[in-house]
Amino acid sequence: MHNLVSALQPGDTVPNGPLPDGSTLFERRGRPIILAFAPTEWDPAQAHQSAIFARLSQEFGSGVAFAEAAPEAWHSLDYRGELAIHLGVAGQRALLLLDEEGVLRWKTVVEPGQDIRPGQVLAALQALRPEPLDAPDLAAASTEVLTGGMSRRTFVMATLAAAALLALPSVVAAAPETALPSPPPTDNRSAMLPVELNINGKSHRLQLDPRTALLDALRENLHLTGTKKGCDHGQCGACTVHLDGHSALSCLTLAVMAQGKAITTIEGLAKGDTLHPVQAAFIKHDAFQCGYCTPGQIMSASALLADQHTRHGSAVEIREAMSGNLCRCAAYPNIIAAIQEAQRA
Amino acid sequence: MHPFQYQRAESGDQAVAVVAKNPDAAFIAGGTSQVDLLKEGVHQPSLLVDVAGLPLRQITDFEGGVRIGANATNTEAAYYPAIQARYPAVSEALLAGASVQIRNMATMAGNPLQRTRCPYFRDLDQPCNKRTPGSGCAAIGGYNHVHALFGASAACVATHPSDLAVALSALDARVQTTGPRGSRTIAFPDLHRLPGTTPHLDTVLEHGELITSIDLPAFAGRSHYLKVRERASYAYALASCAVALEMDGAKIKRARIALGGVAHKPWRATPAEALLAGQQPTEKLFQAAAAAAFADAKPLEHNAYKIPMGRNLLVRALLETSGLQPLQGPAGTAFAASVGGMAGQVATPN
Ligand SMILES: Cc1cc2nc3c(=O)[nH]c(=O)nc-3n(C[C@H](O)[C@H](O)[C@H](O)COP(=O)(O)OP(=O)(O)OC[C@H]3O[C@@H](n4cnc5c(N)ncnc54)[C@H](O)[C@@H]3O)c2cc1C
Ligand code: SF4
Ligand code: FES
Ligand code: FES
Repeated sequence: MHNLVSALQPGDTVPNGPLPDGSTLFERRGRPIILAFAPTEWDPAQAHQSAIFARLSQEFGSGVAFAEAAPEAWHSLDYRGELAIHLGVAGQRALLLLDEEGVLRWKTVVEPGQDIRPGQVLAALQALRPEPLDAPDLAAASTEVLTGGMSRRTFVMATLAAAALLALPSVVAAAPETALPSPPPTDNRSAMLPVELNINGKSHRLQLDPRTALLDALRENLHLTGTKKGCDHGQCGACTVHLDGHSALSCLTLAVMAQGKAITTIEGLAKGDTLHPVQAAFIKHDAFQCGYCTPGQIMSASALLADQHTRHGSAVEIREAMSGNLCRCAAYPNIIAAIQEAQRA
Repeated sequence: MHPFQYQRAESGDQAVAVVAKNPDAAFIAGGTSQVDLLKEGVHQPSLLVDVAGLPLRQITDFEGGVRIGANATNTEAAYYPAIQARYPAVSEALLAGASVQIRNMATMAGNPLQRTRCPYFRDLDQPCNKRTPGSGCAAIGGYNHVHALFGASAACVATHPSDLAVALSALDARVQTTGPRGSRTIAFPDLHRLPGTTPHLDTVLEHGELITSIDLPAFAGRSHYLKVRERASYAYALASCAVALEMDGAKIKRARIALGGVAHKPWRATPAEALLAGQQPTEKLFQAAAAAAFADAKPLEHNAYKIPMGRNLLVRALLETSGLQPLQGPAGTAFAASVGGMAGQVATPN
């Protein structure tokens, strides 16, 4: 949903769009403008952001204001609103600087709790005000912010430098080397994690983003594409695997959380060339049409037959135990027949 | 999905400490609700603390009842012999919920803490006070057929989706927690909140408060869970109810009734409970109790159907619990709990 509109990059002219006060972005041209997008439930504890925003507004132009939930002078645009979608930042906490001509000069997506990196701040300033700044200027600025008494320009730089929320992935590469020495990045939320997975009796070591679902690790990283992605939300069963012998949904399992468990996928069910009885029965009973749901059906069925609570079930009990596996081709009668055959085997 | 850091909890105390000091952190256990909402962008924690590995998985006899570790899976609890035999409402609620795969993953603490299934809550393009406080409620004035009859507010009309929670409420289960301010016991009916002006808060748990167990108190009566849904299996309840009856000879000593799918929390039907106490069970009495239970219902535009449905459901649940009518499947299974569909067709009672 967030990627419907390809994100604007610095240098792009921002298309017109409505602002919550009834004006439009084009009407605001002639002055730099700062757009801040935040959830309307913005945490007042992060009020320092509003202070920085206010100073930026004073320095560069008028900030655009909206949001009832806003503490004091802080206003943000609803990050789920039309403008956010328009600018490709829907659902993201973001700050954008537009110059006098409405060209996007600087854009940053703010991750909650993320620390600002001084080099990035300088890049933000220089994106709009390309006069050269030198390191002593900046060092002085960051000292002054602590002692008070400073020029407007240094104040802006210093508050920016002290702010705890900006990052600008797209411009950082262009940041001049005169920036303040960058501290080691404090944000490693997307940092890859070493993940060791035991799949079909073999151990695999991967480097994964913690967001990776087991399903995606199997399919995208390990190319075990027998496990299917249907809904990706736990509603269809196509992604069913076994974790420690029990059926489970790989789409709702984070790969990091599957460590230490014996993972069995459809690829690991047969013993060499000998099919699992459920696999053989599915073929015999023609228990599929398009076959997309079939790996998930077979994984559920084989787990069902290994489980003392469901192993001896009647047809209706099998249906109940298989209800987590949808079949769009409605091969259900044949699936039940196949499972009953395997039950007798 | 927003980026997050992942950490495996080393101990309960450590998990509490880490989450309590980071307002953007959250627990994850079975992940079936959490991962879904992460993918939807409804939850955007910066840190996930995985509590699934904590040694909180035991189910044990406890003070004449049963103590269920927070991390016991829904499947393990549903088939635990003392639960299936003595608290069939719990097994019925569990086994009539979700699917085998999900029950194998879902934990006993995570289940009652799942979020509402109000469709607008999951749609980032719609206003929703529960997801985004102050943004409005798309369900009021929207399509609200799955929404609340009781206890709703002008801010939110959502219902709580957990089947288990309804059974635990009727049985007055106790929730043991450890949190930033120490350990405490919460009576299950007090765990969930009504929406009021703060619908973003589902429960009374503090940020960082960890459930360690759910305790079923000693209980010598009969209990039963009944659920109506839009298809025979693998669907949330439109309406449900859990009944716990204690008898004194031929008379009802004490009745406890919780209604599901009709409020922001399992809704205890106290007027009906009062009406049943001391009475001889009859269908007429149960009709009166059901009428009392729904007397204060406040339907929205599209959910008035839940009133007769709920009344009929409750009458049937009371008849089946009291033995005036047979269960439609073996006690403690999905077949006893399901209205319609697959009920009553079991060849091999477990
Ligand atoms: C397709 C589908 C259908 C479903 N159908 C049903 C149904 O019919 N009936 C029904 O009742 N449910 C149903 N569910 C919901 C399912 O039962 C829940 O998602 C599950 O029980 C949540 O448990 P979990 O361990 O996976 O929780 P998680 O997803 O890990 O966590 C859920 C919440 O609990 C918190 N949490 C977890 N453990 C603790 C703890 N120890 N202390 C404090 N907080 C904790 C987490 O922070 C999170 O907020 C369905 C789910 C899906 C995906
Ligand atoms: S009913 Fe509650 S959860 Fe649904 S849209 Fe309204 S506020 Fe959100
Ligand atoms: S892809 Fe996992 S349940 Fe549909
Ligand atoms: S065979 Fe096509 S979805 Fe099941």
